[in-house]
Amino acid sequence: MELRKTTVRQAADAVWKGEITAHQLIEKTLKNCSVLNEGLNIFTYLAGIDAVEQAKAVDQKIKNGEKPPLAGIPVAVKDDLCYGVLPTGLGSPAFSEFISPVTAAAVERLMEAGAVVIGKTNLDDMGQGSTTLSSPNGPTVNPWLAGRTAGSAGAAAVATGVCMLAVESDSGGALRQGASHCGVAGLRPTTGRVSRHGLNAHCSSFARVGITAFSGEDISEVLDLISGFDERDAATAVCREGISEIIKAPGSKDITIGYPVTAFDYLEPELREIFEQARERFAEGGYRIEEVDLGLLREGLLAYYVIAMAEAFSNHARFDGIRFGKTAEADSLEEMYEQSRAEILGREARRRSIFGAFLLSKDNYGRYYRQALKIWEMVRQEFETVFERCDLLMLPAARSLPRSLEGESGFLEGWSEDLYCAPVSLSGMPALTIPAGQVDQLPVGMQLVGPPFSEKMLLAVGSASGSTGK
Amino acid sequence: MKYEVVIGLEVHVEMLTGSKLFCSCPNRFVAEPNVNTCPVCLGFPGALPQLNREALQQALRAAVALNCKVALYSYFDRKNYFYPDMPKGYQISQHYIPLGSNGFLDIEDEKGELKQVGIGRVHIEEDAGKLLHEAGGASGGSSMVDYNRAGVPLIEIVSEPDLRSSGEARRYLEKLKSIMQYAGVSDCKMEEGSLRCDANVSLRIPGDQSFGIKTELKNMNSFRAVEKSLDHDIKRQARILDSGEKVVTQTLRWDEDRQETIVMRGKLEAGDYRCFADPELAPIELTAEEVELARQNLPEMAAERARRFVEQYGLPEYDAGVLTASRCLADYFESCLEHFNKPKEVSNWVMGEFSAHLNNAGLEADQASFTPEDMVELLKMIDEQVISGKIAKEVLEKAFVSGKKPRLVVEEEGLLQISDQSELEAIIDRVISENPDTVESYRGGKGKALGHLVGQVMKATRGKANPQLVNELLVKKINS
Repeated sequence: MELRKTTVRQAADAVWKGEITAHQLIEKTLKNCSVLNEGLNIFTYLAGIDAVEQAKAVDQKIKNGEKPPLAGIPVAVKDDLCYGVLPTGLGSPAFSEFISPVTAAAVERLMEAGAVVIGKTNLDDMGQGSTTLSSPNGPTVNPWLAGRTAGSAGAAAVATGVCMLAVESDSGGALRQGASHCGVAGLRPTTGRVSRHGLNAHCSSFARVGITAFSGEDISEVLDLISGFDERDAATAVCREGISEIIKAPGSKDITIGYPVTAFDYLEPELREIFEQARERFAEGGYRIEEVDLGLLREGLLAYYVIAMAEAFSNHARFDGIRFGKTAEADSLEEMYEQSRAEILGREARRRSIFGAFLLSKDNYGRYYRQALKIWEMVRQEFETVFERCDLLMLPAARSLPRSLEGESGFLEGWSEDLYCAPVSLSGMPALTIPAGQVDQLPVGMQLVGPPFSEKMLLAVGSASGSTGK
Repeated sequence: MKYEVVIGLEVHVEMLTGSKLFCSCPNRFVAEPNVNTCPVCLGFPGALPQLNREALQQALRAAVALNCKVALYSYFDRKNYFYPDMPKGYQISQHYIPLGSNGFLDIEDEKGELKQVGIGRVHIEEDAGKLLHEAGGASGGSSMVDYNRAGVPLIEIVSEPDLRSSGEARRYLEKLKSIMQYAGVSDCKMEEGSLRCDANVSLRIPGDQSFGIKTELKNMNSFRAVEKSLDHDIKRQARILDSGEKVVTQTLRWDEDRQETIVMRGKLEAGDYRCFADPELAPIELTAEEVELARQNLPEMAAERARRFVEQYGLPEYDAGVLTASRCLADYFESCLEHFNKPKEVSNWVMGEFSAHLNNAGLEADQASFTPEDMVELLKMIDEQVISGKIAKEVLEKAFVSGKKPRLVVEEEGLLQISDQSELEAIIDRVISENPDTVESYRGGKGKALGHLVGQVMKATRGKANPQLVNELLVKKINS
């Protein structure tokens, strides 16, 4: 069975029917993983024996007459999500042997459904970035074109076909840009839909747990499994009474797609054509297209970074050498903190912590942080206004093609890549990246953004249109 | 003194709840370190806080008991600073919008008149862990952290600078403690740290509108220490001002051994805590109905209870006031009454001997090993004339210290009252023959002389003689 040509449904079916055991499937997957990992640097840890044990347990369940919906499906988990069996590296050398007492809620639920965790995937310095370029383990290579970044290692794991699903965090757009750069589908869910228990968020306000897969169809198979109230994450209280989904059948005049004309001005020129073509395809597919105004993208990006850095400063304060990381030998407490933290946080994480401390300080709180909160609200309202007239909105996921692994580029350049993703994070609304086309042998994805709890509509539209990455 | 004293108090109170503020770890003291901990209160990556609704209810009760305006919408902020007793590198508190504000409580001022002391804010926050410093070694010893206390729910109660003397400060604390105890919010045991107090104090010329330069006093472990350290610093500040110098803004620590304040931090470091709303917690939303309900459901407070003690038990107002000053003591008193329904007698013993021993030992009534059952046993022995009142005091003291049952103390110490007539007669005969002059003066009409003879008998029996019987027998013998 070649996973790249199989849907999650088909693969689980095959395991149920005994055409292949979960054990065989996982053995094969692990072998592929270790081969691919050498060239692409996707995994920080591979589960090995543990994955085999999980698979055997799934086979046993099937023997007992159970039909786990994700029987034997290999899953990759981003390394900022805790999984108690493997180390949770968090993108810091200080955590390379850290075994968390916690397992992320989404991972738990997928495993209950029969999925098998294959390994932990690479990420930026303390999870801060959308490229893996700042990873202490080195960047993950794009499976489409060596020499380019994959954006997210989970997307690379799915694109290469070694895993069928990846559980990933997304704050400013890592998941969505990764899917775009690797030609797969990636869903960032509505705020509160998926529990963040077990996610080490650098930015709690915007970090969400999402799913990357070959296609929207595959994501649909797991969305319900990982959705819903979890008493361990206060934000999921919105799902306590159940979720009222927005569902509309694709391809009908019933669905209006918002087209933010001026938003595409920020794109690298070679990418613009793809979105014009996508617009045409949607129109041909019977959707109504409505031109909308999305004027706050740049402000949204800035507000995102102000808030994200402020929160990172605070969220990462615990990594001070006392409870976490090695306690440096020093003469004073101050020095101990300084030296211990230098070991734990890399360049990017330190940069953001320092900016965050600056932005929250007495003199700057009103000047920057409070302003950012206001912009956050304005951006949210801007998206709401769009969805008064539209059912969904199309946006690029990234401004340019995946970055080169070689050569230094400034950090501001890296941050500005989040222009199309970060404002969506501020809105709290769900977004699905699907492949939209190719430029220079590299895939280019597109975001479909919808109002809260419109994931099923996004997935239906995404599955029906877009070229799948296969 | 020519200066007016201005004092404001910041009080932290540990709330009584089943579990900690943001996790399900038990909220109770254990000696073994780091037992009451979990990924949430240890700040593990990926473990998110969940607000304990019971703690919110307790804080709400505190706010309404202190006559505060309750914010229907408030939220938690992070107070960011590095210290090893804080596992997350920040404390979750309420900075921008406190749960309660603009409250007050009543105390007696220096002239004995009723005075309203403003309460600026009542807010919820989490406690930090505890640092244990190990002395010695060439490396200067090491420090260890116990996180059992980390995440324990606290409320901080900040008074307005309305207090004008150390005595008022003490009465404010006593009143606050009584209210918190009666409301069931906290046991307020200062010695155990469930009530902690910092004081700000400054002096100014009476009539001045602006405040003088203040100092902050810390590390006071009892109400007496608060009063003494305030007095100490008021005198110090007055001396400085008298000499024409300026008081320096600083934080001072009360040294109980040396009975003086010691400078902790030269200057008040204007700490920048970089407070911002905690993005991991939902805002606190209350309805006006919930607040009203909390107000209505407030339990009986000290004054009400004192009134009831006067009406129900016929106690003098003084007794009722003393007994109800502490909820524990009032509870103790009422527990005794359940099995020994002589209120005034119980009151005398609880207010008198029992309270004296509590004060000496620095205990609250519910911490004493001498339980209400023991008190009842003791009172019944007096009632049944098994022991005299005088012996009972001795028994109480021994039982209080040793934790033994009063009856056992009586048996072990041979304190049973001598009511055996023949035994007493022999002693009385001896006393009569040894004190012929006194006997004569009694016979000559000096009634007082009898008292002396009774005293001699009691002395001879080490107080164990039944005094009533001794009296009877003496009169009979002398007159025969």
